[in-house]
Amino acid sequence: MNMLYVLIPLALMLLAVAVWALVWAIRSGQFDDLESHGWSVVLDDDQKPPPHPDDDKEEEKK
Amino acid sequence: MMERTESACFHCGEPVPDGVSLFVLRDGQQKPVCCSGCQAVAELIFSSGLGRYYQFRQDLGRKAEEDLEKDIEAWRGCDDRQSLWGAELADGKRDLLLQTEGIRCAACAWLIRSHVENKPGVDSVQVDTATGYTRIIWRPDDNHLSGLAAALMELGYKPHLPLASAEEQGRQEERRNSMKRLGVAGLGMMQVMMYAVGLYAGDAFGIAVAERSFLEWVSLMVTLPVLIYSGRIFFEGAFRSLKAGSPGMDVPVALAISLAFIASCYNFFTGKGEVWFDSVVMFIFFLSLGRHIEMMLRHRNLQAGAALARLLPEWAERLTDDGRETIPASDLADGDRVLVRAGESFPADGALDSGATEVDEALLTGESRPVARGAGDLVIAGTINLSQPVEMTVTASGQETTVSALGRLLLLAQSRRPSSNVMPVWLVPVFIVAVLVIAGGTWLGWQLVDPGRAFAAMLSVLVASCPCALSLALPVVYAAASRRLLDEGILLTRGEALPALTQTDTVIFDKTGTLTSGQPEVVAIQINPQRPEISEQRALRIAAALEIASAHPIAGAFRWDGAENGTGANKPLVAEKITIHSASGVSGLIAGAAWKIGKAGFVPNPSAAATDNDDSIWLADDQGWVARFELQDSLRPDAEFTIQQLKRQGLELAVLSGDSRKAVDRVADRLQISDRAARQTPEMKLARLEELRNSGKHVLMVGDGVNDAPVLAAADVSMTVKGGAELANSAADMILTSESLELVNKAIHAARRTRELVRQNLTWAVMYNASVMPLAVSGMLKPWMAALGMSLSSLLVVANASRLVKRNTENPAL
Repeated sequence: MNMLYVLIPLALMLLAVAVWALVWAIRSGQFDDLESHGWSVVLDDDQKPPPHPDDDKEEEKK
Repeated sequence: MMERTESACFHCGEPVPDGVSLFVLRDGQQKPVCCSGCQAVAELIFSSGLGRYYQFRQDLGRKAEEDLEKDIEAWRGCDDRQSLWGAELADGKRDLLLQTEGIRCAACAWLIRSHVENKPGVDSVQVDTATGYTRIIWRPDDNHLSGLAAALMELGYKPHLPLASAEEQGRQEERRNSMKRLGVAGLGMMQVMMYAVGLYAGDAFGIAVAERSFLEWVSLMVTLPVLIYSGRIFFEGAFRSLKAGSPGMDVPVALAISLAFIASCYNFFTGKGEVWFDSVVMFIFFLSLGRHIEMMLRHRNLQAGAALARLLPEWAERLTDDGRETIPASDLADGDRVLVRAGESFPADGALDSGATEVDEALLTGESRPVARGAGDLVIAGTINLSQPVEMTVTASGQETTVSALGRLLLLAQSRRPSSNVMPVWLVPVFIVAVLVIAGGTWLGWQLVDPGRAFAAMLSVLVASCPCALSLALPVVYAAASRRLLDEGILLTRGEALPALTQTDTVIFDKTGTLTSGQPEVVAIQINPQRPEISEQRALRIAAALEIASAHPIAGAFRWDGAENGTGANKPLVAEKITIHSASGVSGLIAGAAWKIGKAGFVPNPSAAATDNDDSIWLADDQGWVARFELQDSLRPDAEFTIQQLKRQGLELAVLSGDSRKAVDRVADRLQISDRAARQTPEMKLARLEELRNSGKHVLMVGDGVNDAPVLAAADVSMTVKGGAELANSAADMILTSESLELVNKAIHAARRTRELVRQNLTWAVMYNASVMPLAVSGMLKPWMAALGMSLSSLLVVANASRLVKRNTENPAL
């Protein structure tokens, strides 16, 4: 049972990481719109808008 | 899913008017569209490779504006002050929040993102489908505000500069904070529950003292931050309400949490007795969840309110030395001179320069009777100019207007917690005191019987008594109902309208613009044979000049499109001293000659022809009639279906119209409505309504025009249809935002459904609290059970309410 004294503190560290990650995600607005992003999977893939001649940065961003 | 008949517009689903043959090409097929606006939007969407939008959208598009250039021009006026809106980010980028009309589903969000992100200078685009806000991060060096607005308008959406972006920012902050609290409580709960399983197992099968106290210690370490971070709002709420002298629901909650925590700590440090850390975190988590869901519903609800709080017109027509220019109303400065047409709202506070008119100030005074205002009189922004086009000089604009202050007050009032109608305000403190007395009594009672269980029983009473479900029962249903209505395309402006709508047994329809599409067209022109010098073209131009200031639907038939005949000779005529005679016609001077246009009774005309063709519009000068215009107004496509549905529900229907007997008969016969009245003045309509109400009927009035406003305001429930006069909208309880009459039916359904859910929720909440209390007092209910039961009961109420939000298409049972 001595493993408890190692595993539980480890779990608590993981908990701290999880809380930090959650707060970071909320702060950066990832939970602001929960509806439309699910659709981007269906919508975005096969049909790309024709690239604009002056818009090469689009590729760099991705 | 989407009902689209053969003649419905491919983009917006509205019927394609007769005589319009515009098409877009899709997969080699010609798809009909209703106007050049929708055509342009659809063509743009296809040519940019975004055609999948049509495949995946869950709702039809917004009918596009035909005259984009005018709107874009108005936006350009803002470009030199674009730094006023949005926030400055690092490296010169800007963060702009635009309220965007027409966002209806996730496919819209995708369409906007894909299109706008390809514009120069745009870094990223976020669309919130729930609230209708579009957030654009952009570089002002490479684009302008008007360019961004134009990108949205090209797709058929209508952006607005948010009036209350600070409030929206605040609400977003509130949402994020609530989510953080919820997340921390949830993660903490999972941990503590896990340790609790170990402790309970230890109780059953034996556990070493060292390990037991280690698990309890870890539970305490996790509970403490949850209590401080997530539980803080309950303590703050309790403290606030105590300070205000009226203890609220947060008091027993805060008491239960803190007592349970302190007692657990005491038991832990003294090394004897139970710990309730699991109950504490669970209670906090479920309460936070309930609050969070309620807040989300309330915020979504607020968007409708915010849209309606935009009482000021967006644009104003400023008079300059060279003529007129359209600028954003918020850009008006003191001393500017502005033209305000009849039927429009004043864009700013100011004084009238010329003309005499009637002003509807119901917005401010609640008095629905128009007030006469002449030169020199003060007018208030947002009030409505009823009868004459007037010029005014601005004295206060934008945020300084009386109505902006009012709007801020309104938003403030709305953002408060929806008041619970279940419990009167005075009852709350009584209830709280009663709970505290029962809890204390329970503790004393158990002290006599079995002191060891006294504390746990008292804790259970405190937790079980929390009438969270009861206090949530009504507000969440109403919040969900108004959200559901908004999804259907109905803006609810007065919450009490919902219960009233369930009692409706009589529906009165206005005809023009309500049962019919209200956009008449000139189908034939007859020139007086004795006046051959006037050509048809000339008659139309005169009519257009006279009708330009009128907001009456008939005036729309005479809009002069100068661009079509680009020659200089066809410039629009200008009429002076235009007077609008309510429900009869318009008179004015053109090049010094007096002209009149209007109904048969208003304009001198050959009587034989008049009886023949009652609903024609006549044009006359001082020598007699000159031309007769024959107009036709078509029935709305879904009128017949809707009327049949309403009849099937046993509602009595009536048509009241200011129009001629013949026109009313034509419509009423087709719809098989026997109760009809033609040539009704607003006073007569009002009298008829009073008569119906006196005989015990509950009346729903559906109208659209300025002349319906008094009746709309007087009816038990009122609705206006899309495109209704602003005056009518401001008098209505509900505004139908699409051109579909079927919404009337849907609103009634939603109201009935709402009533049902309110009953269910109230029954459940009262039953739960009443039945669980004896269990708690008798000590049969452990604190963790009470916490779980209370939380689940609240969640049940919220979940029940959110059934309303689901769409018809997904849930045919609704």
